[in-house]
Amino acid sequence: MDSIDIGLVVSGFLLAMVFLGVRVAFAAAIAGMVGLVWIFWAKQGYDPERFFWALTVAVKTAGQVPHSKIASQALSLIPTFILIGFLAYHAGLTRSLFEAAKRWVGWLPGGLAVSTVFATAGFAAVSGASVATSAVFARIAIPEMLAIGYDKRFAAGVVASAGTLASLIPPSAILVIYAIIVEQDVGALLLAGFLPGAFSALVYGGLIVGLAVAFRGFGPPSGGFTWMERLRSLPAVLPIFFVVLIIILFIYNPFGGDAWGTPTEGGALGAFVVLVMALWRGMRWPQLRSALLETAKLSVMIFTIIWGVLIYVRFLGFADLPGTFAEWITSLDQSPLLTLVLILLAYAVLGMFMDAIGMLILTLPVVYPAVIALNGGEAVAAADSAFGMSGVGCAIWFGIIVVKMAELCLITPPIGLNCFVVAGVRPEISVQDVFRGAAPFFVADALTIAGLLVFPAIVLLLPSLLLGG
Amino acid sequence: MAGASSVLEDGTALSRLDRQLYRLESALALVGGVAVFALMLLAVASVGGRNFFNHPIPGYVDWIEQAMPIIAFVGISYCQRLGGHIRMDILVGRLHGRALWAAEFAATTMILALMVLMVWGSWAHFERSFDWHEPFWSRDSSLDIRLPLWPAKLLAPVAFAVLSVRLSLQLWGYGRAFLSGAARPVAVPLIEDAQTVAAREASSVSGLEDGAASGRR
Repeated sequence: MDSIDIGLVVSGFLLAMVFLGVRVAFAAAIAGMVGLVWIFWAKQGYDPERFFWALTVAVKTAGQVPHSKIASQALSLIPTFILIGFLAYHAGLTRSLFEAAKRWVGWLPGGLAVSTVFATAGFAAVSGASVATSAVFARIAIPEMLAIGYDKRFAAGVVASAGTLASLIPPSAILVIYAIIVEQDVGALLLAGFLPGAFSALVYGGLIVGLAVAFRGFGPPSGGFTWMERLRSLPAVLPIFFVVLIIILFIYNPFGGDAWGTPTEGGALGAFVVLVMALWRGMRWPQLRSALLETAKLSVMIFTIIWGVLIYVRFLGFADLPGTFAEWITSLDQSPLLTLVLILLAYAVLGMFMDAIGMLILTLPVVYPAVIALNGGEAVAAADSAFGMSGVGCAIWFGIIVVKMAELCLITPPIGLNCFVVAGVRPEISVQDVFRGAAPFFVADALTIAGLLVFPAIVLLLPSLLLGG
Repeated sequence: MAGASSVLEDGTALSRLDRQLYRLESALALVGGVAVFALMLLAVASVGGRNFFNHPIPGYVDWIEQAMPIIAFVGISYCQRLGGHIRMDILVGRLHGRALWAAEFAATTMILALMVLMVWGSWAHFERSFDWHEPFWSRDSSLDIRLPLWPAKLLAPVAFAVLSVRLSLQLWGYGRAFLSGAARPVAVPLIEDAQTVAAREASSVSGLEDGAASGRR
């Protein structure tokens, strides 16, 4: 067996472990460890006396991965963004946002639903977690919508779908993870997420207005707020604008000159502002302690997947699997765009069964080099490439699309978690009703992804305008 | 995909050990959380020092690189106790009774074998940078302010060793459940369906919301 065969067998073993329920982080590390031992031992001609030597080398190779890969400044963004999210709940920002959005856009047809989408998009700016966002807005927004006669499936579908906006609007933990796995600039990816995220929110808003006009029973407008009341709702949501502004200023300086610092520092300043706000709103040690524990748990979960998968990646490097896969995929006798669409469809299927973060970290080491190769390689110029963009541009574009794709799966059966969460908060609404209510948004998202595929400029405009290249 | 589950308790020796280890794990996880908090304060101080006092914090990046292993490793066993490491339970979730406990036992055995090897490997990584005869017992140091690297490297084998103890307890728990055929055994994370997970997620977030709104919990 040559090293490619070993790579394929071990990868099959990894998939089998994942489907049989071994925790993803450990399954990846086990596969990596087994693969390293195998490949080192194979080089010794499977000499029984050399097995212990192969094991020792493999263990020492794997053993340095956790510390050497984790002790990096770029990764410190992840816990910081997670902390912002948990603190944001205590800062009472969700209710203030909904109140402000209601006063400003409630008069539209389906106004409360549009308010929910915009409030969620705003909250996404301080939180990167879709599922938790849906849970909070299910409690705040759905009762108000039902009270003025909204269709309950519609109301529930809006909340479940709006939660997915969190993944693209900065600060997004999942985009940071993508950037680190594929070794691209974190700031560029965060900036790139902004327009598609805002675009998705507008598409949702337009869809809601359309549905509310077309079906009278769906969502009556609510109104009657004066301009004074509208203006008065703004101070309570200022911290959100502050957080977004700070993070952007720490990636790009509009006044010329260097950015004010690193994205990590921007995130930390944002977290500090939200912390002050939460303390002011009555957060004390018990709440802070629980927020810190939750932050620690989520961070360690993500970091364990990262080092686990990196052990597997170390083995893949020895087996040269990513290179071979990329060669195979570029040799296919079909248009590169079709191949890319097929890859995305495979993600849609996988995403129905897997968590977004686990799915991305597990697959990107093999899929990402192939996508870059499809476009013509890392150093390709836009003019010579298959998708009409540079290698870096392709990395950013693919990242945004694949993350949007992964989030889409949060509102599809059988285990679209956002829908279950909404149904869990509102026992009077069944999961089937939520899935049905979310269906129009699923269609809208599919169209959005198609739009991003056809018009990459929506993704690449901000990064290329602000950061150049 | 599940990322959390509940653990039952009773008066057996296994359950007592489980709770004692959980106390240690919670303390370690809190250390991780406080490290995130410290990281935030450090960054704020660094920005403030640089922009307002023209005096950046020396070795800022070095300190971050020292803090990251605390955040990434020390809570690993806490997360495992609570079933927080994500997995696909769409197939395993359909099993019941002995079949389920046998599957869990097999999976946990593999993870334990991995972690024992990882303790060995990460200890070797630590040993290469540790030396009794060097200043600060250190053979290598960070780039800027020359912090010794061995304390951060030591965290990995220590955290992995705690996780190995946790996994051994879980093996005991699954093994006992397999022998007795219990439906809901103690000291192991139980698989919950999506509804239960969602309901708990919702209630924990609701708790946060109420706590924030009324200033109490």
